[in-house]
Amino acid sequence: MRGRFAIAALGLTEQGIRLGRSDRDLRGDAVERALREAGLERDAIDGYIHCWGEREDLRYLGLSPNFSWALSCGGATPTAGILAAIGMIEAGQAEMVACVYGIAPTSGYIPGVPDLKSIGAHSYGYPSLYGMMGAASAHALHARRHIHLFGTTSEQLGAVAVTQRAYAAVRPGTTGYGKPITLADHQGSPMIVDPFRRLDCCRDTDGGVAILVCKADRARQLSPNPVYILGAGMGQNIANWHKGVPYDHHDNIAPAKARAFAQAGITLADVDMAQLYDPFTISVIMQLEAYGFAPEGHGGPFVAEGGNGPDGPIPTNTAGGQLSGFYATGFTPIIEAIVQLRGQAGAGQLKKADIALCSGHGLNAGVQNSWNHATLLLGNQP
Amino acid sequence: MSIDLAVIKKLGGDHLDLSFWEGARRGELLLHRCGICGKHYWPASRCVEHGGTDMAWVPASGRGTVHTYTIMHHAYAPRMAPHVPYCVAVLKLEEGPFFHTNIVDCPMEGIHVGLEVAVRFEEDEVSGLTLPVFAPVA
Repeated sequence: MRGRFAIAALGLTEQGIRLGRSDRDLRGDAVERALREAGLERDAIDGYIHCWGEREDLRYLGLSPNFSWALSCGGATPTAGILAAIGMIEAGQAEMVACVYGIAPTSGYIPGVPDLKSIGAHSYGYPSLYGMMGAASAHALHARRHIHLFGTTSEQLGAVAVTQRAYAAVRPGTTGYGKPITLADHQGSPMIVDPFRRLDCCRDTDGGVAILVCKADRARQLSPNPVYILGAGMGQNIANWHKGVPYDHHDNIAPAKARAFAQAGITLADVDMAQLYDPFTISVIMQLEAYGFAPEGHGGPFVAEGGNGPDGPIPTNTAGGQLSGFYATGFTPIIEAIVQLRGQAGAGQLKKADIALCSGHGLNAGVQNSWNHATLLLGNQP
Repeated sequence: MSIDLAVIKKLGGDHLDLSFWEGARRGELLLHRCGICGKHYWPASRCVEHGGTDMAWVPASGRGTVHTYTIMHHAYAPRMAPHVPYCVAVLKLEEGPFFHTNIVDCPMEGIHVGLEVAVRFEEDEVSGLTLPVFAPVA
């Protein structure tokens, strides 16, 4: 697996609140940008994976590929899309697959679910009878367990928000650009879904992204700085449900991590940055533990001491993540990994940026919090 | 009046769940049990060991402990509007399964992981279902 496939191009639109553009416009723009970057004509795209659950797209984008799929597993979808793209290339069905995402919830465009006002307001089946609505409530159940088991504090959750805002504050194009916050700001923000305050939660944003996935030798012809897929893995939290510990774990990370690192042939010490799916602050703390950057139960003190900061042992969500950057589902981590691996992060460029760990999770089944977790290892060398 | 299957489907369930909601209407908390190994499940499931050959709805004790919870500071469901802030808890029932519910008859600051609770039933005018809710054991 390692280094045989690559991301040849990244097409990234503006990302932000109330852009006033439709989701299709954003996807179309993202595809055009990716094609321009790779110097390709649109007929070069012979596989199309829409990283969202909606069927109609191609005619709006002017594409005519061999196949068009809609993939939907929430924040794990971009990695699932890359794996599906690799599978189709390996099976001889395509050579250049576009994995595309674009939504505009703050402008009234959530593809496939026109009645949904916010992607953070999903209803989760039977628990909705009890007033449990929205992704914040689902994640709060994990946060409460972490607080109960390890004494994690609201201030430690706040440390994640403050550190990530500091990254975003110096990164143009993020929602937090030029707007640093303090721990006092976090503690003063209203309680929304206990233990989450407003500054523990990310916001919906509008934006589009397209990546072009192909064989590594083709990517080298098209790009001076292809980003190589080193390894990937998936895990499903239903296994933890059956074991009675779904809330003690953020996701079922162990099998995803093991497969990804085995494919890449690397260890945790080789990873220069973590780009973690972070709709809520607890997500960062629990993933830093599950991946092994911090000992179990010590994620809170780890972030309070700046372990996730630019000078810490594992710089994490270096453009502000979803909390302070923008929410582009599981593409938020992948985009920043690409930017860092290419050395294009400007003032936020890490000194060493050769291998990135990205994550994503999603498609909560409802009662069981049985969402998928995806691990993706990317590098600037095969 | 029978349970409306359309309501159950909208909540992610199917005909296998009807017995549970019929039980709740009678004031009984039921769990789905594998007759081969005795493991209890909720909602309707196939046993991870033995499949669906011997699954049946059986009465539960109606007691459990708070495993985790959140306190909602906005009325995300119309039924809850008069009750903000309200608690959504996941219980570990005595028989083993987790169960999402509201903790009632308890101040929010009295709720904690490990709190022992017992079932009671409330009518939900919005869904037309009878909901098992839980209150602290006296």
